[in-house]
Amino acid sequence: MRNIFTTVVLLLSAVLLSSGCTKKQDVNEKVLNLVSPAEIKGYDPIQADDLYSGREISKIYEGLLQYHWLKMPYELVPNLAESMPEISKDGITYTFKIRKGVKFQDDAAFPGGKGREMTAQDFVYSIKRLADSKNQATGWWVLDGKLAGLNEWREKNAKLPASNYDEEVEGIKALDNYTLQFKLAKKFPQFMYSLAMPFTYVVAKEVVEKYGKEFINHPVGTGPYVLPIFDQGKKITYTKNPTFREKLYPSDASPEFKNLLADAGKKLPLVDKVVVHVMKETQPAWLKLNKGEIDYYSVPKDNFASAIKDNKLTPDLAKKGFILEIAPALDVTYTAFNFENKLFHNKKLRQAMYLAFDEKKSNELFYNNTAFPAQSIIPPGIAGNIKDYLNPYKGLKLEEAKKMLAEAGYPEGKGLPELKYDIPDSTVSRQSGEFFQQQMAQIGVKIKIVTSPWPEFQAKVKKKAVEIYGLAWGADYPDAENFLQLFYGPNKSPGANGSNYDNPEFNKQFEDAVVMQDSPERTAKYEKLNKFLAEEVVAMFGVHRQSYILEHGWLRNYHPTDLHHDAVQYLNIDTAKKAELLKNF
Amino acid sequence: MNLYAYILRRLLYVIPVLLGVCLVIFVLFNLVAPDPAFILLGKHATHQQIAELHHELGMDKPFIAQYFDTVKTAFTFDFGYSWASKQNIWQMIKAGAGPSLSVTGPLFVISNIFAISLALLVAFYRGKLIDKFVLVLSIAGMSIPSLAVVLFGQWFFAYKLGLFEISGYENGFPNFIPYVILPVILYVFISFGGDTRFYRTVILDEAYQDYVRTARSKGLSELKVMFKHVLKNSMIPILTQIIIQIPYLILGLIFAESFFSIPGLGAMTINAINNSDFPVIKAMTILSAVAFILFGVITDVLYTVVDPRMKLK
Repeated sequence: MRNIFTTVVLLLSAVLLSSGCTKKQDVNEKVLNLVSPAEIKGYDPIQADDLYSGREISKIYEGLLQYHWLKMPYELVPNLAESMPEISKDGITYTFKIRKGVKFQDDAAFPGGKGREMTAQDFVYSIKRLADSKNQATGWWVLDGKLAGLNEWREKNAKLPASNYDEEVEGIKALDNYTLQFKLAKKFPQFMYSLAMPFTYVVAKEVVEKYGKEFINHPVGTGPYVLPIFDQGKKITYTKNPTFREKLYPSDASPEFKNLLADAGKKLPLVDKVVVHVMKETQPAWLKLNKGEIDYYSVPKDNFASAIKDNKLTPDLAKKGFILEIAPALDVTYTAFNFENKLFHNKKLRQAMYLAFDEKKSNELFYNNTAFPAQSIIPPGIAGNIKDYLNPYKGLKLEEAKKMLAEAGYPEGKGLPELKYDIPDSTVSRQSGEFFQQQMAQIGVKIKIVTSPWPEFQAKVKKKAVEIYGLAWGADYPDAENFLQLFYGPNKSPGANGSNYDNPEFNKQFEDAVVMQDSPERTAKYEKLNKFLAEEVVAMFGVHRQSYILEHGWLRNYHPTDLHHDAVQYLNIDTAKKAELLKNF
Repeated sequence: MNLYAYILRRLLYVIPVLLGVCLVIFVLFNLVAPDPAFILLGKHATHQQIAELHHELGMDKPFIAQYFDTVKTAFTFDFGYSWASKQNIWQMIKAGAGPSLSVTGPLFVISNIFAISLALLVAFYRGKLIDKFVLVLSIAGMSIPSLAVVLFGQWFFAYKLGLFEISGYENGFPNFIPYVILPVILYVFISFGGDTRFYRTVILDEAYQDYVRTARSKGLSELKVMFKHVLKNSMIPILTQIIIQIPYLILGLIFAESFFSIPGLGAMTINAINNSDFPVIKAMTILSAVAFILFGVITDVLYTVVDPRMKLK
């Protein structure tokens, strides 16, 4: 017995003795520590359909265009392109000059292990790869039907055992090593945005062929950082790409970003190493932020009250040098009606339901009162959003709602069947479903909440097997078309129009607007469409959310953003300030 | 019965069990689980893309053909590639097994030694203050939700006192040690209540047997009685309890791995479930079934070692 006790005591002592076992940070090293709240699916640009994979991929790969880091509203600028394209008068042909001397990162796929120069042919290959149905690219939608002959190439090759990448496609040609030409199938000015998205980033054919199925874990791009192999771990460490071209920090900025010009003209990237911690749980990430082990993190819902009071940091956090960044997200939450169900063709029913919903209370309960009430679908910051517009059917107006419901043919809800409200099965969704149920009960509309795991929920929407459902939409690019298309008839399920709304008048006006170049005329058309959707109550628009992010005082050049996937290259660490501030922790 | 014949017979049971497991996972995946195409293709998937992906994944084959594919996987252990990460599944398992075992291994050893020692101690002092104290502590340990223990432990020991890493993991010995100490300590606490209560009951059951009384009346010391007689004769339920834990060691700790960002097999399995990554779910289910059968056989064989009266039939 004594031996067993001794063993136990020794083991416990060993554990206790090693209790000082923590890793110390080297504050002199320029290392960025970031959090990814979701698993990274891998490093194939054509599969980067989620924000987090897009961000990781953009550390290694690059595209023709990018968003200017210091300009708002978002502005496209050249990246691997030498300049902005020459666009033909009919708006169909886009000709790009490609930057010379850009090298792919060194990898065993290249002769001698040395990365070769990127050329226009690499873009042709990368675009065809996105179109190749054998690759099942999640990003195919950005070019589906957009480039002349590309859909035909895709369909033809789908039937072949191996796709023929040598076959010429009219819509994408390398005129020489440094000239790339796109020909659109029809006018679509938003095409330019797709060239800043990870889906169209350039990859090297040799690398794709060498690694085959495992290409997704062997990223080799032209970008600022390298990652020799992705092992699906919880900690991803990138190091500076030694062969990265001479890319400089921008020297011009919008007025709100003038304070971020201290590093103007410096060679990018600004930090030597980037460590991404994959942390799905908010508590450990929040604790790590508070210990100075990660550089910025969005304030978790459960920590909001203890961190922020009246949109300001609590004194404790302010003393530690934290900076609070509040930024509107380019998104909208909404409760959609499925118009395949004839019941929802009754406009007064939709209006009555919207009038019965207390958005103010909902904002308070679910967003700590931090979100903007959405009057229609286009969020602030995107042309087409109407400043100061108030949707006449939004807000709690119970008497009006009851009257409208009676006019719809369902006084006090009589004769109206119980409506199914589909939501994903998270706790917050369930709570918001219950809140919706209570709100509708005020006018006699009975709601049955149906929860499903996220994939099943998505599948039900795609199969039109829902009646009412709650959803949020985030911008893929900063153009109202990306939001208005959610109600465009030809996009019905399984397309993005899960409401299956199909109004010929709206469709026609949408088609007319989206082919126009950015102009006051187009903005006027977008505004008209936006107002039309609001007053038709095609959906019960909820809120445009805001991000509340805490950054450490030593982090430089950071601003929250929805579309700059490549932000990391611009960020910097003030090591002296870090050493100083860490004394307060 | 000959030991080898018994082992062979028990191992042959793997065949019907695996066929059953294949049927269950096949039915669950095809009839209950959502269509993976919607996850794998993202929010902009079209009908055509969905049909193409179904074809690529073999989901448009007749059900019976798909079932035989599952059976073939189970018997060849050729799990293929993950639908989500495109990695070879054996490589994923190899990569995840180390981090999982680095937590579950020490946890298994420490928690069992700790619980058995404590059980012996309280059985020795049954009815005394220390017994009552451990009883209260055990019940408290069993009553506090594991989430609360992890949240508090992470906040207090790692953040407030700064004794351990909050979360994270580094591959290779000894790099991983700072990251696994806290989860191991917290999980020893989470498991000690139930284990100690169980072992105490088992030991006390034996402690009141006639042969123990005889041993005492022979004048043997209490220590000798406890170790030479009671513990030895309690080994059957103790062994069962210990060996049944081993397959769980291999499968990892799902919740802990997520909270402590440990890239183990538990985290991998949860990820696969969230992504409807059928090949990975299939692989982990089959491996679990095989592990349970295998360790069941080992338990039976060990029974005969600790108690020669036991006969294998």
